[in-house]
Amino acid sequence: MTDAALLTGAMAVQATLTASATLGGSLQSQPPDPRTGPRVVPNDLADWLAALRLLAAVPFGYLVPDAELLPQESARFCYLDRAWTDALVQGAMSVGTVTTADHAQLEAVYPYVRDEVDEAERLARVAGHDPAPLGPAGPVTGLLLRSRAVAGWPGLHVRAYSELVPDDAMLPDSDPRRLRLLRMERLAPAVLFVLIDGVPRIVHVEEPRQGLQFGVRPPDGDPADTTRQGLVPPRDINTGEPLVPMDDKTSWVPVRFRPNAPGVLNLRKTRDALLAVPGTNMGTDVDSAEFAIQLLRYPYRQVFGPTGPQTDPETNPSGTGTKAGWIQVFRPRIAVPELFAEFTKGTS
Amino acid sequence: MPSTPQPGFFNLWSALTPPLRAGQFRLDARVDLDPGAAPTSLPVETGQTFFTVDAPRFALPAGQLLSTYPPANGNGAYSERLPQVVLKRRTLPWERAPGTGADAALPWLALVVIAQGEGTLSPEVDVAQCVTPGVALAGAADVTQGVYLEVTKTVVDAVFPTKEDLPLLCHVRQVDLSDTELALGDDDGWMAVVLANRLPWPASADPTTTGGSDQPAAAPVQYLACLVNLEGQLAALPDVAEDEVGTFVPVDAIAHFDAYADAFADPDSLAMAQPAAGPPQAGPGTPRPAIVARSTLSDTWATAPAAAAAPTALGIDAGRAVREIMGRPWRTPAAAVTAEQTYRFPVLTHWQFTVDGDPSFEGLMQALDVALLGSLPDLDPQAPPAPRPAPDVAATGHVGLAHLTRRGDQATAWYRGPLAPRPAKRDSSTATDGPLPVAHASDQLRRVTPDGREDLTYAAAFEIGRLLALSQPSVVAALMRWRAEQFGAARAAELAAQTVAGTSLLGGPPAITDVAGLGRLVGGALLGRIDADPAATVGPRRPLADPGAPIAGLTGDLEAVVATGLGLDIDALRAQAGQVGVVDALANTAVPMADAPAGPLLEGPDLTTLRSAAEAIAGRMATQAAAGAAPLAGAAPLAGAAPLAGAEAGARAQPDALDRLLTELGP
Repeated sequence: MTDAALLTGAMAVQATLTASATLGGSLQSQPPDPRTGPRVVPNDLADWLAALRLLAAVPFGYLVPDAELLPQESARFCYLDRAWTDALVQGAMSVGTVTTADHAQLEAVYPYVRDEVDEAERLARVAGHDPAPLGPAGPVTGLLLRSRAVAGWPGLHVRAYSELVPDDAMLPDSDPRRLRLLRMERLAPAVLFVLIDGVPRIVHVEEPRQGLQFGVRPPDGDPADTTRQGLVPPRDINTGEPLVPMDDKTSWVPVRFRPNAPGVLNLRKTRDALLAVPGTNMGTDVDSAEFAIQLLRYPYRQVFGPTGPQTDPETNPSGTGTKAGWIQVFRPRIAVPELFAEFTKGTS
Repeated sequence: MPSTPQPGFFNLWSALTPPLRAGQFRLDARVDLDPGAAPTSLPVETGQTFFTVDAPRFALPAGQLLSTYPPANGNGAYSERLPQVVLKRRTLPWERAPGTGADAALPWLALVVIAQGEGTLSPEVDVAQCVTPGVALAGAADVTQGVYLEVTKTVVDAVFPTKEDLPLLCHVRQVDLSDTELALGDDDGWMAVVLANRLPWPASADPTTTGGSDQPAAAPVQYLACLVNLEGQLAALPDVAEDEVGTFVPVDAIAHFDAYADAFADPDSLAMAQPAAGPPQAGPGTPRPAIVARSTLSDTWATAPAAAAAPTALGIDAGRAVREIMGRPWRTPAAAVTAEQTYRFPVLTHWQFTVDGDPSFEGLMQALDVALLGSLPDLDPQAPPAPRPAPDVAATGHVGLAHLTRRGDQATAWYRGPLAPRPAKRDSSTATDGPLPVAHASDQLRRVTPDGREDLTYAAAFEIGRLLALSQPSVVAALMRWRAEQFGAARAAELAAQTVAGTSLLGGPPAITDVAGLGRLVGGALLGRIDADPAATVGPRRPLADPGAPIAGLTGDLEAVVATGLGLDIDALRAQAGQVGVVDALANTAVPMADAPAGPLLEGPDLTTLRSAAEAIAGRMATQAAAGAAPLAGAAPLAGAAPLAGAEAGARAQPDALDRLLTELGP
C-alpha cells in the first residue's frame, strides 16, 4: 500500500498510552507536576536523585576538603562540577546491582536517568505559581558564605541576576534576569550554602526584612571607633525618598544624644536638626509619623559584582573599578595547557 | 477610611485617639420635644445607663503583642536600631490619659530600655504595689497582679523619655493585610508602634581585658525592654535642658545601684535586713552581692531550670513563667541598696536581649574576603606561623590530601569537591578512550594525574553517593522496586510478543515497549502489527475516491468535443483565451442558439393533407357518436339525446389537446 496515511496506528497507540498516563496522573490528587508524558524514572526517585545532585546530605568535608579554603568571614563563589554530581548519582544508582544483567540494565537506562534527573533538578524550589523551568540543565554556580552575619541574621535574602541590575533594584521572582536559587541552606550556624541556576553577573545579599525598623547609621570611618555617633538621611515624608545621597554621609543629619545617658536620644534636638533640613515637607512641627519616617532604616544590601563604572570583563579583565572584585574572580584563571604543564612539572 | 496601601508600602499616622478613653461613663438619655408642637413637658423619665470602657492597664492581653525588636532573648548587634514593640490594637497607646489637662492627650505607654543593673523588675505583686508609693491610680485594674519596674531617679533622668518625647515615640502603621512580611499576622492591617528612645549600645571596651589589641572588643550588655504605664507619673519624667547635647557616654558610666551595692562592706547585712532571703543572683561580670529577691512565688527559691520550675504546678500560665525566669537578672532591689528616690512603673510586657560588640551587618559584609573557592587567603607576613601548613591547593581547586592506600602506603592524593573554581567538563573524556561509561564501582573513576598522584575526586563522589543511597532504606527499596518493574516490563513485553506471534494472522515481533498491563500491551502489539502491514492482515485499503464510469464516444480532445457540442469555434476561442484569458474568453463568447420559426408551423400540401385527414376522423367520430356508441365517454351507453348533450357539454367545458391543435391549425 503506497498511500501515505494521515494517522498511523502507531501514532494512535502512542496517543492512547500518553493520554492514559496523563489521566492517571491527574486522577491522583497530587500537586501539578510539569513533567508529563512517559518517564523512565519514577518521580519520587528522580526527585531524590535531584536533591542528591544538589548535594543534599553530602558531608561538608566532601564539599570543602580543607578549612583553609573557607576561612572565617569569607565568601567563596564556585562552579558546580557536573561530573562530580554525575559520579554521585552513579554511585547511588549502583546500589543493589549485583549481576551482569543488573549492570547491563543500568547502562541501558542511565542516559534516561541522567536526562530526567537534569529535568527534576531544575524543579527544586519552584514556587507553586511560578512557571516551571524546563529544558536541559545548564551550568550551576554556588556561593559559600561563612560569616557571623549568617549566624546573627538568620533569613538572609540572596538574589542572583544574570545581567547587571542597579544596586537598589527590587525585581520580582519572575523577572527573566533573575536567576533561580536551586538550594539555599545553612549548613552550619555560620555557613550559608547557595546554589544558583546559571552563572550570575551580580549577586545581592540582603539583611532579613523583619518588618519595619527604625534606627541610625554610624558615620564612615574606623568601625572600631567606640565614640558612637548616629546619622540619619533626611527624607521627604510624602514619598519616603531620601533627600541626600545615600552613599555620602557628610550631608546626613546627626542624631543628638542626651548628656550622660548612653544611647538615649535627645529627641528635641534631633527634631530641630531635622526641621532645619529643607525639602522634607514636614511643616513647622514634627509628629510621630514624620519622625518615624526620618528614622526608617531599610535593610542593608551587599552587592557582589561590579560597582561604579560597570566594566565589561572582556574589555577590562583586570576589573578596575570593581568593589567586590567578583567579575574577575569568577572567571577561570587557568587554562588546560598551563595545567598540564604544572602537573607534568614534577615528572619531567 | 483611607485606601489600603499596596503590598510593600505602608502609611504612618501620628496618632489615633479613641472617642472615649478608658474609664467608667454614665449615659443620660433625655427626651426633648419641640415646644411649639406639643405640650411643653412630657412625663418621660430620664434614662441612665452606666458603662465601662475597658483598656489594658497592668498587663498586655495575650495576642496584642505582634512583634518586638530586638527579638526576645536575641543576641546580636542591635546597637543601631531603636527597640520597638508593635501592638495589635491601633488605639492602645491613647486609650488612657497619663495626666490631666493638656497632658491627657499624651500616650500613656512608653517603651523603656534599661541596661542590666539600672533597674529592678519585680515579680508578680498586687497591682496596688505596682506604682510609686504615694501615687494612686483611680479606676479599676484589669488584673489583680502585675509587674513593676523600679528605677532610681538618676536612671529615670537618664533613660526615660521626656514628656515632650512621648508623642514622638508612638505612631500607627497601616499596611496591606496580604503583605505577610509587614502585616505580622494582624487582623485589620492597622497596628500601633511604640518606639524606645534609646539605642542599645554595647559596653565600651575594657583595655585591661583585651590585652592591648588594636581592636578592642566591646563587651556584651544585657538589656531589658519594658512597656511601662505612665499614668499619674508624668511628673517623674525628666526634663532635659534645652541646650545640652550629649556625645558619647559609655554604657557602664551611668550611675546605677550596683555601685551603691559595692559600697556596702558586708552584703550579708542586706540579706538579713529582709524578711526572706532569695538565692544569689549570678550575673555576668563581677560577682554581685547576695541580695534578696522579694517574691511571693516559691519557685524563686528554686535553682532548677525553667522547665522544672514550680509555676506550672501552681497553675500559672507558661508565658508568665517564662517572663518570670527572664526577669530574674533584674531582681536586685534598687530600693534596698540606694538611698535615692526610686520610682515604680507598672510593666505591661517586657523582654530581654543582649547586645554584643559584633560589628554591624554592613561592617561584616564589607569586610568579607571574597574569592573563588580554592583560593587561599593572603597570608600576613607578620603573622605567627600557622599551627599547620597551608593545604596543597592546585589552581584547578584540587587539594592534596593524605591518602592511606589499600596496601597501607602513606601517600597523598588529589581531591576536589563538587564546588570547583572553574567550570568543569561534564563528560570528561580524553582523546584516547572517549566518553566514560557508566561506573559500576568507584575504582572505575580513579585517575592518575601526570604528576604520579592519584585523583580520587570522582571515586570519592561515587562512594559517598552509594553510601548516601544505602543510608536510606526507602531509597534502596525504591531503587529495587523500580529495577524489578523494569525487568517485569521487559518480561511482559516479551510475553506479549510471543502471544501476538502465536496468532496465525500476524507475523514478526511487536514493536511496542511501553507497558502498563499485559492486556493493553497485547492490544497495542496487535494494533502495531496491523499497522505495519495492513494489506496482509485486513485486506487492501480502499481508495479515497472511486473513479467514474467511462462515457462511450467521448474520445479525442475533450475541449474540442465540448466546444463542438456547444457550437463554438474552438480555434477562435483558444486564440481569444490567449489574449484575455480563458474565463474572459468564455464570457465574451456567445453560444449559438436556433431561431424560433416566424410563420405558421405548416404550409401547403402538408397542411391540406393533415386537415383533410383530421376532418375525416372527426366525421367518423361524429357518426359513431350519433349511432349511440360513445367509446370516448368511457361510460355505459345511455339512451336518448341526453348522452350527446352531455358529451357536447363536457367537450366545451374542458378543451383537450386535440381542441388546442385544431384551434392552432385552423385559420
